[in-house]
Formats: sequence, C-alpha cells, structure tokens
Amino acid sequence: MRNSNFISRSFQYLLAFGFIALVTVILIALREALDTTLVALLYLIPLGLITAYLGLGPGITSALVTFLTFNYFFIKPYYTFAVHRPTDVVILVIFLIVAIVISQLVGRMQASLAAATAREREATRLYELSTALAGLHNDHVISQILAKQVQEVSQGEAVEINITGGQPFAYRLPDSAQPTRSPEWVVPIEVARGVLGEILLWRAAPAITSGEKRLLQTFASQGALALERARLAQAESRARVLEESDHLKSILLSSVSHELRTPLSTIKAAASSLRSDDVHWDSAARPELIAAIDDEADHLNMLVGNLLDMSRIESGVLKPKREWNILSEIVGSVLARMKHLAGEHRIEVDVPESLPLMPVDYVQMEQVFTNLLSNSVKYAPERSVIRVRAFVEDESVHVVVRNQGPQVPQEHLERIFDKFFRITAADRVTGTGLGLSICKGIIEAHSGRLWAENVPDGLAFNFTLPLVWEGVSPPTLPMDTETE
Amino acid sequence: MNNAPHILVVDDELQIQRAIRTILTEKGFKVTTASRGEEGLTLAATNEPDLVILDLGLPDMDGVEVCTRLREWTQIPIIILSVRDSERDKVAALDKGADDYLTKPFGIEELLARVRVALRHSASRQGTQSKVIHAGQLVIDLAWHSIKRGDEEIKLTATEYKLLAYLAANHGRVLTHQSILANVWDPADANHTEYLRVYMRQLRKKLEVDPERPQFILTEPGIGYRFIADE
Repeated sequence: MRNSNFISRSFQYLLAFGFIALVTVILIALREALDTTLVALLYLIPLGLITAYLGLGPGITSALVTFLTFNYFFIKPYYTFAVHRPTDVVILVIFLIVAIVISQLVGRMQASLAAATAREREATRLYELSTALAGLHNDHVISQILAKQVQEVSQGEAVEINITGGQPFAYRLPDSAQPTRSPEWVVPIEVARGVLGEILLWRAAPAITSGEKRLLQTFASQGALALERARLAQAESRARVLEESDHLKSILLSSVSHELRTPLSTIKAAASSLRSDDVHWDSAARPELIAAIDDEADHLNMLVGNLLDMSRIESGVLKPKREWNILSEIVGSVLARMKHLAGEHRIEVDVPESLPLMPVDYVQMEQVFTNLLSNSVKYAPERSVIRVRAFVEDESVHVVVRNQGPQVPQEHLERIFDKFFRITAADRVTGTGLGLSICKGIIEAHSGRLWAENVPDGLAFNFTLPLVWEGVSPPTLPMDTETE
Repeated sequence: MNNAPHILVVDDELQIQRAIRTILTEKGFKVTTASRGEEGLTLAATNEPDLVILDLGLPDMDGVEVCTRLREWTQIPIIILSVRDSERDKVAALDKGADDYLTKPFGIEELLARVRVALRHSASRQGTQSKVIHAGQLVIDLAWHSIKRGDEEIKLTATEYKLLAYLAANHGRVLTHQSILANVWDPADANHTEYLRVYMRQLRKKLEVDPERPQFILTEPGIGYRFIADE
C-alpha cells in the first residue's frame, strides 16, 4: 500500500517535470520572437496547471525548477546561471515570488476543496445512516445497519457491534472468521444514561485517520440515539399494553361479577330454602331446587373455564397440541354432549368421514364447535335448524356453522369476535361474552381463519384450517383387512 | 363392617374432605383423611387402605409426586381429584400410575362410579379376572377371542381385536393414548395417535349401535379412551 503510494507520488513529480520540459522546449524554439518578460508570464501557465492537478508539492518544486530553466535558457547570457543585466535580476526575483505565490494559492484552494468534498461525503454517509436508522425499533436491525455502514466507510477487515444493554448480543461483519488479534479501534456506543455497547473495527492498514475516527464517533452516537429511541418505543408500547390490559381487566371484573353472581344467587336461594323448614321433605319443589343448584354449579364452572381459557389465549400459553384427528369424531362427541343443551333446535350435520385427517388439537376443536353451536342455540329461534358442514377447499378444510338466528349488522361482523362485545344488552343473554373470541384465538393458533357472514335466512360462522402441518400432508394409513 | 373397603382421602381443602367423607361413609366405606402429602404417604403405609383419592395441589408436595412414591411399593388404586383441568396434567398423573382422574367440580355419582371401577379392578388383579365381558348386547370372550352381538358373531381384524381386548380388559378405566399405543402397537409408536383415531373409528363402526354417539368406546378428550361395560 505504502509502496504504491510512493510510486504514484514519484509519478506525479515526473509528470510535472515532463510538462515543464515540454513547455521549455517550445519556448526555446520561439525564444527569438519572445520577450523575456513574456516568457516569464507564459511559464506561469504550466505552473498553475501543475499545482491545480498534481498538488502543492509538485507545484512548488516545479516553480523552483522553472526558475532555474528560465534563468538558464532565457536570460542572457544563455546556458549559464549568470545574470548580467539588473532588469533580468528583477524579472527573475519577481518570477520566483509570483510562481511560488500562485502555487501556494492554487494548492490551498485544492486542499480546501478536497476537505469540503470529504466533509460532504461524511455528511452524505451520516444522512444515509440516520435515514436508515429512522423508525427502527429493533436492536438487531439497528446493529446490522450500523455495522454495514461502518464497514462501507472504513473498508476494514471486520466490524463487530456489541450490544450490552438489555439483551446482550453481538453482530459481526463479515460473519465468517474474526481476526484473532484485538481490534484496532473501539468506539463506545454511549447515551446519557450509560454505555449501550461498542463498535469494534479491525483494519491494520492503512492506519485509521483522525478524520475517520471522527466519523466513526459520529456513527456511534447515531447508533446510540437509534438504540435509545428503540428502547423508549418499546417501553412506551409496554406501557400501552399494560394500560389496555388494565382497562380490559376492569371491564372483565364488572362483566364477570355480574355473570358469576347470577348462578350464585340461584344456588344460594335454593340451598338456603332447602335448609330452612319452608320446603317439606316430600314437596315437589325439592327436586327442582336441587336440580337448579346442580345446573347452576355447572354453569358457574363453565364460566370460570371460559375465563381461564381466555387468559391462556391472551398470555399465549394456549399452544395447540396438534395431532392427526378425525373431524367427524370431534363433531360427533360435541353433539353427543350438547344433546340436552340443543333443546328444540334441529342440528343437521354434514361432516363426511371421508375428509382427510386434520392436524388439530382435539380438545380445542371440541371447544370451537361447542362455542359456535351454543352461540347459535342461544340466539336462533326455537325449532330452527342449525347446519354444520365441512368440505375440502384447496389445501384446507372449510367448516360452516349456519343458523337461522338474527343477522348481525355489517359493521359488527368483525367485532362480534372481540372480548365482551355484545349486540344485545348484557342482561338479556347469559354467557361471558368470551365464547367467540376464544374460538378465534383457537383457530388462529391453528393458523386458520374464522369469520362470520350474514346469509339469507340467518348467520353463518365460517372457519378454515390448513391440512398441511409443518410441511406434512395428512397421512393415510395402511389398514389390515384380514379378520381373525 | 370390618370388611368395608377402606378409602384414604388426601386433600387439603377441608370442605371437600368433609363432603367426600360424609358421602362415602353414607355409602358404607371406611374413610381416613389426610391434608398433606407426607401424612397421606404415612397413612397409606400404616393403614393399608384399599383405595386412595388424591388431590394434586397439596401444600407440601405435588400429588404426582405422592403418586410416584406410592407406586414404589403398592398397586392400590389411586383416583386423582383436582382443579387442574389441562390434559397435560391429567396424562402426567395417569402415566405416573394413577388409575383415574376426576376434575373438580365433580358430580358425586361420577366419583362413586369411578371408585367402584377402581375397587373392582384391584380385586380382579388379585386373581378373579373375568374372561367374559358384557357391554349392552355385546359379549366379549377374552379366552376364546370371540365377540358377539346377541347371537351374531362380529369379525375383527387382528389389530382391531388386540385393541378391543386391551380396552375391554381395562373396562371402566381411562387409558391414555400412549399406553394404548404402547400395548397394542409398539412403544415406538406412542406418538402416532392417528393410528388410534382410525382404528377406533373402525371398531366403533363394527361394535356401536350409533358410531357417531358411542356407548361403549368413549373418547376422553385429549387423554385417551375408556371402555364402558356392564357392572
């Protein structure tokens, strides 16, 4: 590196001397026609060009060389450095002063131009960096971009960003082998509250200049700002989530206490009247009161179960335990259990056994069907028909639970899956207002989609579930057919 | 009443203890209660009960731990009674040697039915295993490998028969997917619940009156299956 630099510098001097030699030869040819002062002026042209294009060093040296050639070739007596006429001495001295001053001026202009260009490049780099970092809220992405920019600017062998605050990690560029020696330059990534990490740079040659160091410092402080911003944004969103969940909890508490108190008051009333002497042993009211206690206890248990499921969905604990299941078996077992809940409704089922095996959590899918069906039973008029249909559509199974209940205004079709959302007043129907949002949580945990739509004579719940699970299609099993 | 079955109830909720004690005593069982796991283990060793009803959330140790330690020296039936309703908890307790699992709140009829099944099984383990099982119209003869509905012979494939025989021999008890797969297929197949799903469907079609609403082979969601036979 240093060697080639030396060669290019020597080349610049050679070029300068060559140029002067060329000009000198031309001027010698025209010597008789030109006045000495004119020669001196003409000599200033190459000098200015040399300083402008080749730099200050070649410029000054050329000025001195020109002074000598001018004296030697153009001041009588020719071909000696002796000067006889006093005017020639004056011309020579003035030429030397003017040549050096021009070189200096042009050179300084050049240098400040170069500095300005460098500063502009730095500014562009910084602008690029700060634009790239704007709006980022992820420490990893920020470090990646920072490392890339540092690498581009420094052209170093390797760059490493170490983040120590929060969850510590390191990002390296290139991510292959890391030099074993200690880095040449380390810049802390610092904010007012403390150190968030550091930038390590490996570059043995050329040595890192003070300008580069200054730029890297600025990069580090830009990175620090971005990281700080990311942290603040995270803290803010955490605060917002907390606030929201706090708000939800207070809605939950009021909804829940109403819901829980209703069965509790039935139980309390029934139990206390059984305990008192008001109800005789052989009274017809006795079995009724006892049945009320039993039913309401079940209802209470269901409410608590729903609340637990919801909190499991919210906290992300509800991971489906997926296995290959037969959908018709799940629907069948739900219907068998709901027989007494369905009341006067007629439930028609078209879930063919020939459907492929489905990668679902048996218990959670039971719950989806139970909730959708009990929602339909609750809202659809007595003696109406509820239809359950399932069919294969592309790579998934589409299930429709359709009832003849009241339609839902278009603007509420999405919102009925929100927690505690009710179209009817809360005291007219029982439930926690959680059933549908639990369904949505479960279907989405299975990477499916659940939606509601109005159909001519009622409301239909639709959901789709993918058949392919972790890249595996439903298995078909070899069955043994031979009997014993 | 000296030969009345002796039941040990390990539960730290005094209200539940009281309720179970009242009902079981009423039904002619002898009842001992314990509130802590260590106490329960000591009582099980000194009193030699015929059955243990065990809560999972005990103050001093987990019920599953009590289960494991009981199984180190005794095969007395254990029925788990717990508020934990996740399938994982149930399967864990069943795999550690519990015979049955009931989630609180529970109906007392259900508890009594499970107690009777568990006691009958421990009796049959001691020798008097009946080789013919009746379930509604079905007659399953484990000695002769024959299954009849009324007079009509039902033909099963080899795997179907193996599966039914395992279920019927353990009728009344919940059998986890893993234990069925390990016993009927191979321990290496313990994760292939799809085998079970498919063969159970076949079996139900051959045995049940209405395969969609089975009476004999019941699904225990997320846990396994239970075969219901006549008492």
